[in-house]
Amino acid sequence: MAVNNNFKNDILFESKNGYSYQCDKTNSIIINFSGITSKYKVQDFLIFQRKVNSVDILDMLYDLSDKCDFKLIETTQKKFSRNLTICEIVQLRELLNGTKFALVLNSMLNEVLSDVAVSYLD
Amino acid sequence: MKDLLRRNTALNEGVEKLLNLQSKIECDASTKYLAMAAWLDRNGYVETAEYMYKQSEEEREHFLKVFKYITEMGGIAITPDVSKVQQEFESFRDVFEIALQNEITVTNAVNKVIAKCRLENDYATEEFMMWYVKEQREEEKNARRALELFDLIDEDSACGKFELDKQIAKIGV
Repeated sequence: MAVNNNFKNDILFESKNGYSYQCDKTNSIIINFSGITSKYKVQDFLIFQRKVNSVDILDMLYDLSDKCDFKLIETTQKKFSRNLTICEIVQLRELLNGTKFALVLNSMLNEVLSDVAVSYLD
Repeated sequence: MKDLLRRNTALNEGVEKLLNLQSKIECDASTKYLAMAAWLDRNGYVETAEYMYKQSEEEREHFLKVFKYITEMGGIAITPDVSKVQQEFESFRDVFEIALQNEITVTNAVNKVIAKCRLENDYATEEFMMWYVKEQREEEKNARRALELFDLIDEDSACGKFELDKQIAKIGV
């Protein structure tokens, strides 16, 4: 999915179905999934990611009833609230996990780089 | 690019998971002691019932302490579900056998959190958990003393149960 040029530098993750970036001015993470944009504080994003990861996909696959074709995924303050198919849940999972990975990687790099800065002072 | 993750939380995800588990264990311990207190009260052991009510309160304080710590450090504190609690006990002694086992479980959980903290270089949480190490040493000692009293005082003698009820309530005072 095409990302707005203004956010190219802060992009965290991009997939076929969406992208995410961080806004340093508001200290938030913006998720765009299938055209729906929502903005989260870090903690809220982590809760969202864990919630999507906790969906039992196998259970949905093996349950043949109609109600299991979709699952309502809601985040805090209903910033995101949609009935998603199994396929969409997997795609959203990919986007959120990729975003989380980028956040962790950025954090690790910051830690390592600050170590380098400290060693220069010695 | 700002390090948003670190700016918002000082807790490693693995440590946070174990702390949430610890808060659940403490919360469960509180409800277990409450059930024990009710059983003791029902069966006439009023002094030890009071002792157990106090233990239940204490465990709740322990639970809240971890719970608040997680939030204080920028983590996500998860309110524990209320687990099913054993309501009936075989005997007076059985209550304290189970209490000791519970304390051992809590101590093991505390040790696991500290081991994880050392692995992740989380010295703040390790220092925080040291309070629990000390507390558990005391809790285990008290639970053992209660069982020791059962060996010293014959439960089936004329005033055995009455005496045990009085003596156990004095533990840790």
